[in-house]
Amino acid sequence: MRIEAHPVLNFERGEKITFFYNDKEVEAYPTETIAAALHAAGVRKLGESPELHRPRGLFCAIGNCSSCFMIVDGEPNMRVCVMKVRPGIRVEEQKGKGVIRT
Amino acid sequence: MKNFYDVVIVGGGIIGCSVAFELAKRGRKDVLVIEREYLTSGATGRCGAGIRQQWGSVLNATLAVESTHIFENLEEYTGYDRSCGLNQGGYLLVAYTEKEWAQFQKNLQVQHSVGVDSYAVDLDGIKEIVPHINTEGMLGACFCAKDGHADPFHCTYAYARGAQRMGVDIETYTTVTGFGVENGRISAVETSKGTVKANVVINCTGGYAAQMAALVGDELPITPERHQILITEPVAHIMNPMVMSLHRHFYVQQTPHGSVIMGIGDPTEPVSHNIRSSWQYLEHNAWLVTQTLPAFRSLRVVRQWGGSYDMSPDRNPIINEAADARGFISVAGFSGHGFMVAPRTAILLANHLTGQEDSLDIQRFSVERYETGALLLEPSVV
Repeated sequence: MRIEAHPVLNFERGEKITFFYNDKEVEAYPTETIAAALHAAGVRKLGESPELHRPRGLFCAIGNCSSCFMIVDGEPNMRVCVMKVRPGIRVEEQKGKGVIRT
Repeated sequence: MKNFYDVVIVGGGIIGCSVAFELAKRGRKDVLVIEREYLTSGATGRCGAGIRQQWGSVLNATLAVESTHIFENLEEYTGYDRSCGLNQGGYLLVAYTEKEWAQFQKNLQVQHSVGVDSYAVDLDGIKEIVPHINTEGMLGACFCAKDGHADPFHCTYAYARGAQRMGVDIETYTTVTGFGVENGRISAVETSKGTVKANVVINCTGGYAAQMAALVGDELPITPERHQILITEPVAHIMNPMVMSLHRHFYVQQTPHGSVIMGIGDPTEPVSHNIRSSWQYLEHNAWLVTQTLPAFRSLRVVRQWGGSYDMSPDRNPIINEAADARGFISVAGFSGHGFMVAPRTAILLANHLTGQEDSLDIQRFSVERYETGALLLEPSVV
Protein backbone atom coordinates (compact mmCIF):
# COMPACT_ATOMS: atom_id res chain seq x y z
CA MET A 1 0.00 0.00 0.00
CA ARG A 2 1.26 3.44 -0.91
CA ILE A 3 -0.36 6.84 -0.46
CA GLU A 4 -1.13 8.00 -3.98
CA ALA A 5 -2.78 11.36 -3.37
CA HIS A 6 -2.01 13.71 -0.52
CA PRO A 7 -3.43 17.21 0.12
CA VAL A 8 -0.02 18.74 0.82
CA LEU A 9 2.72 16.46 -0.49
CA ASN A 10 3.57 15.66 -4.08
CA PHE A 11 5.21 12.30 -4.66
CA GLU A 12 8.01 12.27 -7.17
CA ARG A 13 8.77 8.62 -6.82
CA GLY A 14 11.02 8.16 -9.83
CA GLU A 15 11.65 4.96 -11.77
CA LYS A 16 11.02 1.64 -10.09
CA ILE A 17 14.02 -0.39 -8.95
CA THR A 18 14.30 -3.87 -7.44
CA PHE A 19 16.00 -5.27 -4.33
CA PHE A 20 15.94 -8.61 -2.53
CA TYR A 21 13.90 -9.53 0.51
CA ASN A 22 14.81 -12.98 1.86
CA ASP A 23 16.20 -13.76 -1.63
CA LYS A 24 12.92 -12.78 -3.35
CA GLU A 25 13.00 -9.86 -5.77
CA VAL A 26 10.85 -6.94 -4.60
CA GLU A 27 9.97 -3.72 -6.46
CA ALA A 28 10.50 -0.34 -4.85
CA TYR A 29 10.90 3.34 -5.61
CA PRO A 30 14.39 4.72 -4.90
CA THR A 31 12.88 7.54 -2.83
CA GLU A 32 11.43 5.12 -0.29
CA THR A 33 12.82 3.62 2.87
CA ILE A 34 13.31 -0.15 2.96
CA ALA A 35 10.45 -0.41 5.46
CA ALA A 36 8.09 1.55 3.17
CA ALA A 37 8.98 -0.63 0.20
CA LEU A 38 8.45 -3.82 2.22
CA HIS A 39 5.16 -2.46 3.52
CA ALA A 40 4.01 -1.76 -0.03
CA ALA A 41 5.02 -5.30 -0.96
CA GLY A 42 2.80 -6.66 1.82
CA VAL A 43 5.57 -7.54 4.29
CA ARG A 44 4.40 -6.75 7.81
CA LYS A 45 6.76 -8.87 9.92
CA LEU A 46 10.24 -7.37 9.79
CA GLY A 47 12.01 -9.30 12.52
CA GLU A 48 11.69 -11.09 15.84
CA SER A 49 12.08 -10.05 19.45
CA PRO A 50 15.50 -11.07 20.80
CA GLU A 51 14.44 -13.20 23.77
CA LEU A 52 11.01 -14.70 23.04
CA HIS A 53 11.21 -14.56 19.24
CA ARG A 54 7.85 -12.87 18.83
CA PRO A 55 7.13 -11.16 15.50
CA ARG A 56 8.12 -7.50 15.26
CA GLY A 57 6.90 -4.97 12.70
CA LEU A 58 7.11 -1.27 11.95
CA PHE A 59 6.62 0.73 15.13
CA CYS A 60 8.30 4.10 15.68
CA ALA A 61 9.31 4.70 12.04
CA ILE A 62 11.98 7.22 13.12
CA GLY A 63 14.90 4.91 13.90
CA ASN A 64 14.52 4.86 17.66
CA CYS A 65 12.71 1.78 18.81
CA SER A 66 14.71 -1.23 17.54
CA SER A 67 11.53 -2.90 16.25
CA CYS A 68 12.52 -2.93 12.57
CA PHE A 69 16.08 -4.34 12.88
CA MET A 70 16.92 -6.29 9.74
CA ILE A 71 20.04 -7.62 8.06
CA VAL A 72 21.02 -5.46 5.10
CA ASP A 73 23.84 -6.74 2.88
CA GLY A 74 25.04 -8.88 5.80
CA GLU A 75 25.04 -6.06 8.38
CA PRO A 76 22.72 -6.82 11.30
CA ASN A 77 20.64 -4.36 13.35
CA MET A 78 19.89 -2.06 10.41
CA ARG A 79 17.03 0.37 11.08
CA VAL A 80 15.16 -0.16 7.86
CA CYS A 81 12.52 2.44 8.73
CA VAL A 82 15.06 5.22 8.18
CA MET A 83 17.24 3.55 5.56
CA LYS A 84 16.70 4.33 1.88
CA VAL A 85 16.30 1.41 -0.47
CA ARG A 86 18.99 0.97 -3.15
CA PRO A 87 18.97 -1.22 -6.24
CA GLY A 88 20.08 -4.79 -5.64
CA ILE A 89 20.52 -4.66 -1.85
CA ARG A 90 19.83 -7.88 0.04
CA VAL A 91 17.47 -7.44 2.97
CA GLU A 92 16.87 -10.37 5.31
CA GLU A 93 14.70 -11.00 8.31
CA GLN A 94 16.74 -10.96 11.53
CA LYS A 95 16.00 -13.78 13.95
CA GLY A 96 16.73 -12.37 17.40
CA LYS A 97 19.98 -10.61 18.23
CA GLY A 98 22.15 -9.52 15.36
CA VAL A 99 25.29 -11.49 14.60
CA ILE A 100 28.12 -9.06 13.89
CA ARG A 101 30.64 -9.88 11.20
CA THR A 102 34.15 -10.58 12.37
CA MET B 1 16.11 5.91 62.16
CA LYS B 2 16.74 5.85 65.91
CA ASN B 3 18.81 8.53 67.63
CA PHE B 4 21.48 6.10 68.81
CA TYR B 5 23.29 3.28 67.01
CA ASP B 6 26.27 1.14 67.94
CA VAL B 7 27.71 1.54 64.44
CA VAL B 8 26.86 4.13 61.78
CA ILE B 9 28.09 3.44 58.26
CA VAL B 10 28.25 6.39 55.89
CA GLY B 11 27.83 5.35 52.26
CA GLY B 12 25.41 2.89 50.66
CA GLY B 13 27.63 1.32 48.04
CA ILE B 14 29.02 -2.18 47.92
CA ILE B 15 31.55 -1.39 50.68
CA GLY B 16 29.05 0.14 53.11
CA CYS B 17 26.44 -2.56 52.56
CA SER B 18 28.87 -5.48 52.76
CA VAL B 19 30.42 -4.08 55.95
CA ALA B 20 26.92 -3.72 57.47
CA PHE B 21 26.12 -7.31 56.52
CA GLU B 22 29.34 -8.77 57.93
CA LEU B 23 29.00 -6.78 61.16
CA ALA B 24 25.42 -7.94 61.66
CA LYS B 25 26.44 -11.51 60.90
CA ARG B 26 29.01 -11.27 63.71
CA GLY B 27 26.43 -9.99 66.17
CA ARG B 28 26.88 -6.23 65.89
CA LYS B 29 23.37 -5.68 64.58
CA ASP B 30 22.67 -2.21 65.93
CA VAL B 31 23.87 -0.67 62.70
CA LEU B 32 22.66 2.22 60.54
CA VAL B 33 23.70 2.75 56.93
CA ILE B 34 23.32 6.36 55.75
CA GLU B 35 23.22 7.00 52.02
CA ARG B 36 23.08 10.44 50.39
CA GLU B 37 20.90 9.23 47.51
CA TYR B 38 19.87 5.62 46.86
CA LEU B 39 21.92 2.42 47.32
CA THR B 40 24.52 2.07 44.51
CA SER B 41 24.00 5.69 43.41
CA GLY B 42 27.72 6.44 43.70
CA ALA B 43 30.70 4.62 42.26
CA THR B 44 29.24 1.11 42.76
CA GLY B 45 26.36 1.61 40.37
CA ARG B 46 28.65 3.24 37.82
CA CYS B 47 31.47 0.73 37.89
CA GLY B 48 32.46 -1.88 35.32
CA ALA B 49 31.87 -4.55 37.99
CA GLY B 50 34.74 -6.72 36.84
CA ILE B 51 35.98 -9.44 39.16
CA ARG B 52 39.66 -10.08 38.60
CA GLN B 53 41.99 -12.38 40.50
CA GLN B 54 45.01 -11.73 38.32
CA TRP B 55 46.86 -9.31 40.56
CA GLY B 56 50.54 -8.66 41.00
CA SER B 57 50.72 -8.47 44.80
CA VAL B 58 49.95 -11.26 47.26
CA LEU B 59 47.64 -8.98 49.22
CA ASN B 60 45.44 -7.97 46.29
CA ALA B 61 45.40 -11.47 44.84
CA THR B 62 44.36 -12.87 48.24
CA LEU B 63 41.60 -10.28 48.66
CA ALA B 64 40.36 -10.96 45.13
CA VAL B 65 40.48 -14.77 45.34
CA GLU B 66 38.62 -14.91 48.63
CA SER B 67 36.11 -12.30 47.42
CA THR B 68 35.51 -14.28 44.23
CA HIS B 69 34.66 -17.35 46.27
CA ILE B 70 31.98 -15.30 48.01
CA PHE B 71 30.69 -13.80 44.74
CA GLU B 72 30.32 -17.37 43.45
CA ASN B 73 27.72 -18.04 46.14
CA LEU B 74 26.59 -14.54 47.03
CA GLU B 75 22.85 -15.30 46.69
CA GLU B 76 23.06 -18.18 49.15
CA TYR B 77 25.55 -16.31 51.34
CA THR B 78 23.22 -13.35 51.79
CA GLY B 79 19.85 -15.07 51.32
CA TYR B 80 19.01 -13.11 48.18
CA ASP B 81 16.17 -14.45 46.07
CA ARG B 82 17.39 -13.04 42.75
CA SER B 83 20.53 -13.63 40.72
CA CYS B 84 23.57 -11.44 41.37
CA GLY B 85 24.51 -11.90 37.72
CA LEU B 86 27.93 -13.44 38.16
CA ASN B 87 29.37 -14.41 34.80
CA GLN B 88 32.77 -16.06 34.89
CA GLY B 89 33.92 -15.66 31.32
CA GLY B 90 37.52 -15.07 32.36
CA TYR B 91 39.86 -12.11 32.07
CA LEU B 92 42.28 -11.93 29.19
CA LEU B 93 45.07 -9.52 30.09
CA VAL B 94 47.00 -8.76 26.92
CA ALA B 95 50.62 -7.58 26.96
CA TYR B 96 51.80 -4.95 24.49
CA THR B 97 55.27 -4.21 25.88
CA GLU B 98 58.27 -6.29 26.93
CA LYS B 99 58.13 -4.75 30.39
CA GLU B 100 54.48 -5.66 30.78
CA TRP B 101 55.06 -9.20 29.52
CA ALA B 102 57.94 -9.68 31.98
CA GLN B 103 55.77 -8.33 34.80
CA PHE B 104 53.00 -10.75 33.86
CA GLN B 105 55.38 -13.69 34.35
CA LYS B 106 56.15 -12.45 37.87
CA ASN B 107 52.45 -11.85 38.54
CA LEU B 108 51.66 -15.44 37.56
CA GLN B 109 54.00 -16.70 40.27
CA VAL B 110 52.30 -14.45 42.83
CA GLN B 111 48.88 -15.60 41.66
CA HIS B 112 49.81 -19.28 41.76
CA SER B 113 51.10 -18.86 45.32
CA VAL B 114 47.59 -17.91 46.47
CA GLY B 115 45.71 -20.39 44.31
CA VAL B 116 44.67 -18.37 41.26
CA ASP B 117 44.21 -20.65 38.26
CA SER B 118 45.84 -18.30 35.75
CA TYR B 119 48.19 -19.07 32.89
CA ALA B 120 50.06 -17.41 30.05
CA VAL B 121 49.01 -17.87 26.44
CA ASP B 122 50.81 -17.07 23.18
CA LEU B 123 49.21 -15.30 20.21
CA ASP B 124 47.59 -18.51 18.94
CA GLY B 125 46.25 -19.11 22.43
CA ILE B 126 44.77 -15.60 22.47
CA LYS B 127 43.04 -16.34 19.15
CA GLU B 128 41.59 -19.51 20.63
CA ILE B 129 40.03 -17.55 23.49
CA VAL B 130 38.87 -14.57 21.39
CA PRO B 131 38.96 -15.57 17.70
CA HIS B 132 38.21 -12.09 16.31
CA ILE B 133 40.89 -10.22 18.28
CA ASN B 134 43.64 -8.34 16.46
CA THR B 135 46.89 -9.61 17.98
CA GLU B 136 49.08 -7.05 16.18
CA GLY B 137 51.63 -5.64 18.61
CA MET B 138 50.82 -8.16 21.32
CA LEU B 139 53.46 -10.35 22.93
CA GLY B 140 51.10 -12.68 24.73
CA ALA B 141 48.42 -12.65 27.37
CA CYS B 142 47.43 -14.03 30.72
CA PHE B 143 44.11 -15.73 31.24
CA CYS B 144 42.11 -16.81 34.26
CA ALA B 145 38.82 -18.53 33.48
CA LYS B 146 37.39 -17.87 36.95
CA ASP B 147 37.56 -14.09 36.57
CA GLY B 148 34.45 -12.35 35.33
CA HIS B 149 31.89 -9.79 36.30
CA ALA B 150 28.71 -9.50 38.35
CA ASP B 151 25.78 -7.16 38.62
CA PRO B 152 26.85 -4.35 40.97
CA PHE B 153 23.24 -3.39 41.78
CA HIS B 154 22.10 -6.88 42.71
CA CYS B 155 25.30 -7.61 44.67
CA THR B 156 24.84 -4.45 46.75
CA TYR B 157 21.15 -5.15 47.32
CA ALA B 158 21.93 -8.74 48.26
CA TYR B 159 24.16 -7.45 51.06
CA ALA B 160 21.74 -4.68 52.01
CA ARG B 161 18.67 -6.91 52.19
CA GLY B 162 20.61 -9.55 54.11
CA ALA B 163 21.79 -6.91 56.57
CA GLN B 164 18.27 -5.52 56.98
CA ARG B 165 16.91 -8.96 57.77
CA MET B 166 19.39 -9.14 60.63
CA GLY B 167 18.20 -5.78 61.97
CA VAL B 168 20.35 -3.21 60.20
CA ASP B 169 18.62 0.09 59.35
CA ILE B 170 19.24 1.82 56.03
CA GLU B 171 18.43 5.49 55.64
CA THR B 172 18.57 6.75 52.07
CA TYR B 173 18.38 10.34 50.80
CA THR B 174 20.11 11.48 53.96
CA THR B 175 23.19 13.70 53.90
CA VAL B 176 25.89 13.64 56.56
CA THR B 177 26.78 17.22 57.45
CA GLY B 178 29.19 16.74 60.35
CA PHE B 179 30.37 14.60 63.23
CA GLY B 180 30.51 14.95 66.98
CA VAL B 181 33.78 14.12 68.74
CA GLU B 182 34.12 13.87 72.53
CA ASN B 183 37.39 13.25 74.36
CA GLY B 184 39.11 12.12 71.20
CA ARG B 185 36.38 9.62 70.33
CA ILE B 186 33.64 9.81 67.73
CA SER B 187 30.31 10.31 69.44
CA ALA B 188 27.71 11.41 66.91
CA VAL B 189 26.82 11.87 63.26
CA GLU B 190 24.99 15.02 62.18
CA THR B 191 22.66 14.42 59.25
CA SER B 192 20.02 16.24 57.25
CA LYS B 193 17.48 14.25 59.30
CA GLY B 194 18.93 15.01 62.71
CA THR B 195 21.79 13.91 64.94
CA VAL B 196 22.52 10.24 65.58
CA LYS B 197 24.77 9.13 68.41
CA ALA B 198 27.21 6.35 67.62
CA ASN B 199 30.04 4.33 69.14
CA VAL B 200 31.69 3.66 65.82
CA VAL B 201 31.42 5.44 62.47
CA ILE B 202 32.61 3.81 59.26
CA ASN B 203 33.35 6.07 56.34
CA CYS B 204 32.62 4.22 53.07
CA THR B 205 32.13 7.25 50.84
CA GLY B 206 34.60 6.44 48.05
CA GLY B 207 35.70 9.61 46.30
CA TYR B 208 34.23 11.72 49.11
CA ALA B 209 36.11 9.84 51.85
CA ALA B 210 38.76 12.52 52.32
CA GLN B 211 36.13 15.25 52.70
CA MET B 212 34.23 13.14 55.24
CA ALA B 213 37.39 12.36 57.20
CA ALA B 214 38.34 16.04 57.19
CA LEU B 215 35.18 16.72 59.21
CA VAL B 216 36.82 14.91 62.15
CA GLY B 217 40.23 16.41 61.42
CA ASP B 218 41.65 13.32 59.73
CA GLU B 219 43.71 13.71 56.59
CA LEU B 220 43.33 10.99 53.98
CA PRO B 221 45.32 10.98 50.74
CA ILE B 222 42.29 9.92 48.67
CA THR B 223 41.24 11.85 45.59
CA PRO B 224 38.30 11.43 43.21
CA GLU B 225 39.08 10.77 39.56
CA ARG B 226 36.52 10.52 36.78
CA HIS B 227 36.41 7.36 34.70
CA GLN B 228 33.97 6.88 31.85
CA ILE B 229 32.23 3.83 30.48
CA LEU B 230 30.01 3.14 27.50
CA ILE B 231 27.67 0.35 26.54
CA THR B 232 26.54 -0.74 23.08
CA GLU B 233 23.42 -2.26 21.62
CA PRO B 234 23.10 -5.99 22.31
CA VAL B 235 24.30 -8.45 19.70
CA ALA B 236 24.64 -12.22 19.59
CA HIS B 237 27.30 -13.64 21.88
CA ILE B 238 30.75 -13.18 20.37
CA MET B 239 33.18 -12.84 23.28
CA ASN B 240 33.50 -14.69 26.61
CA PRO B 241 36.22 -12.96 28.60
CA MET B 242 36.89 -9.43 29.68
CA VAL B 243 39.70 -8.25 27.42
CA MET B 244 41.97 -5.82 29.18
CA SER B 245 45.18 -3.96 28.46
CA LEU B 246 47.12 -2.22 31.20
CA HIS B 247 49.42 -0.56 28.67
CA ARG B 248 46.63 0.83 26.50
CA HIS B 249 44.35 1.45 29.48
CA PHE B 250 41.16 -0.25 28.36
CA TYR B 251 38.81 -3.06 29.28
CA VAL B 252 36.01 -4.59 27.21
CA GLN B 253 33.48 -7.26 28.01
CA GLN B 254 30.25 -8.58 26.57
CA THR B 255 27.45 -8.94 29.09
CA PRO B 256 25.21 -12.04 29.11
CA HIS B 257 22.51 -9.79 27.60
CA GLY B 258 24.77 -9.21 24.59
CA SER B 259 25.66 -5.55 24.95
CA VAL B 260 29.34 -4.71 25.02
CA ILE B 261 30.54 -2.61 27.94
CA MET B 262 33.90 -0.89 27.84
CA GLY B 263 35.94 1.72 29.63
CA ILE B 264 39.30 3.43 29.34
CA GLY B 265 41.60 5.14 31.79
CA ASP B 266 42.81 8.63 31.02
CA PRO B 267 46.20 9.36 32.65
CA THR B 268 45.58 13.11 32.25
CA GLU B 269 42.25 13.10 34.11
CA PRO B 270 42.35 15.85 36.77
CA VAL B 271 41.28 15.42 40.40
CA SER B 272 37.63 16.41 40.65
CA HIS B 273 34.13 15.27 41.52
CA ASN B 274 33.12 15.82 37.88
CA ILE B 275 31.42 12.67 36.58
CA ARG B 276 29.87 14.10 33.43
CA SER B 277 30.26 12.42 30.07
CA SER B 278 32.55 13.87 27.42
CA TRP B 279 32.57 13.41 23.64
CA GLN B 280 36.35 13.18 23.70
CA TYR B 281 36.04 10.00 25.71
CA LEU B 282 33.50 8.54 23.30
CA GLU B 283 35.72 9.19 20.31
CA HIS B 284 38.93 8.00 21.94
CA ASN B 285 37.39 4.88 23.47
CA ALA B 286 35.80 3.85 20.19
CA TRP B 287 39.08 4.29 18.35
CA LEU B 288 41.23 2.58 20.98
CA VAL B 289 39.07 -0.48 21.51
CA THR B 290 38.41 -1.15 17.83
CA GLN B 291 42.17 -1.28 17.23
CA THR B 292 42.23 -4.47 19.27
CA LEU B 293 38.67 -5.67 18.64
CA PRO B 294 37.80 -4.51 15.10
CA ALA B 295 34.59 -6.56 15.04
CA PHE B 296 33.02 -4.02 17.40
CA ARG B 297 33.44 -1.29 14.77
CA SER B 298 29.86 -1.72 13.56
CA LEU B 299 28.26 -1.58 17.02
CA ARG B 300 26.18 1.41 17.99
CA VAL B 301 26.66 3.00 21.39
CA VAL B 302 23.45 3.31 23.38
CA ARG B 303 24.67 4.89 26.60
CA GLN B 304 27.71 6.49 28.18
CA TRP B 305 28.34 7.58 31.74
CA GLY B 306 31.01 8.61 34.20
CA GLY B 307 31.84 7.68 37.77
CA SER B 308 34.49 8.34 40.36
CA TYR B 309 37.47 6.21 41.26
CA ASP B 310 38.68 6.86 44.84
CA MET B 311 42.38 7.04 44.14
CA SER B 312 45.04 6.46 46.80
CA PRO B 313 48.76 7.14 46.32
CA ASP B 314 49.68 3.45 45.98
CA ARG B 315 46.42 2.52 44.24
CA ASN B 316 45.31 0.33 47.11
CA PRO B 317 42.63 0.58 49.78
CA ILE B 318 43.05 2.53 52.97
CA ILE B 319 41.45 1.22 56.17
CA ASN B 320 42.29 3.75 58.80
CA GLU B 321 41.08 4.88 62.20
CA ALA B 322 41.24 8.65 62.72
CA ALA B 323 43.94 9.62 65.24
CA ASP B 324 41.92 12.43 66.84
CA ALA B 325 38.54 10.70 66.64
CA ARG B 326 38.93 7.08 67.68
CA GLY B 327 36.13 4.93 66.42
CA PHE B 328 35.98 6.83 63.11
CA ILE B 329 37.21 4.35 60.53
CA SER B 330 37.61 5.13 56.85
CA VAL B 331 37.46 2.34 54.27
CA ALA B 332 38.19 3.86 50.88
CA GLY B 333 40.85 4.52 48.27
CA PHE B 334 40.14 1.33 46.34
CA SER B 335 41.37 3.05 43.17
CA GLY B 336 39.03 1.33 40.76
CA HIS B 337 39.03 -2.17 42.18
CA GLY B 338 36.76 -1.83 45.20
CA PHE B 339 33.82 -3.83 43.92
CA MET B 340 35.80 -7.00 43.32
CA VAL B 341 37.47 -7.01 46.75
CA ALA B 342 34.50 -5.75 48.77
CA PRO B 343 33.36 -9.13 50.19
CA ARG B 344 36.74 -9.97 51.73
CA THR B 345 37.49 -6.39 52.81
CA ALA B 346 34.18 -6.26 54.67
CA ILE B 347 35.05 -9.49 56.48
CA LEU B 348 38.47 -8.10 57.42
CA LEU B 349 36.94 -4.97 58.92
CA ALA B 350 34.08 -6.80 60.64
CA ASN B 351 36.51 -9.28 62.19
CA HIS B 352 38.57 -6.35 63.44
CA LEU B 353 35.54 -4.60 64.94
CA THR B 354 34.25 -7.73 66.67
CA GLY B 355 37.61 -8.76 68.07
CA GLN B 356 37.95 -11.82 65.88
CA GLU B 357 41.12 -13.11 64.31
CA ASP B 358 41.81 -12.67 60.64
CA SER B 359 44.50 -14.17 58.41
CA LEU B 360 45.17 -10.69 56.98
CA ASP B 361 46.72 -7.89 59.01
CA ILE B 362 44.39 -4.88 58.91
CA GLN B 363 47.21 -2.57 60.06
CA ARG B 364 48.88 -2.93 56.68
CA PHE B 365 46.04 -0.89 55.19
CA SER B 366 46.43 2.13 57.49
CA VAL B 367 47.74 5.48 56.23
CA GLU B 368 50.91 4.93 58.28
CA ARG B 369 52.25 3.06 55.29
CA TYR B 370 52.78 6.35 53.47
CA GLU B 371 55.13 7.47 56.25
CA THR B 372 56.94 4.22 56.90
CA GLY B 373 57.23 3.46 53.20
CA ALA B 374 55.56 0.06 53.58
CA LEU B 375 53.46 0.77 50.52
CA LEU B 376 51.10 -1.80 49.09
CA LEU B 377 52.60 -1.60 45.64
CA GLU B 378 50.44 -3.09 42.95
CA PRO B 379 51.93 -3.37 39.47
CA SER B 380 48.67 -4.23 37.70
CA VAL B 381 46.19 -1.37 37.92
CA VAL B 382 44.46 0.19 34.89
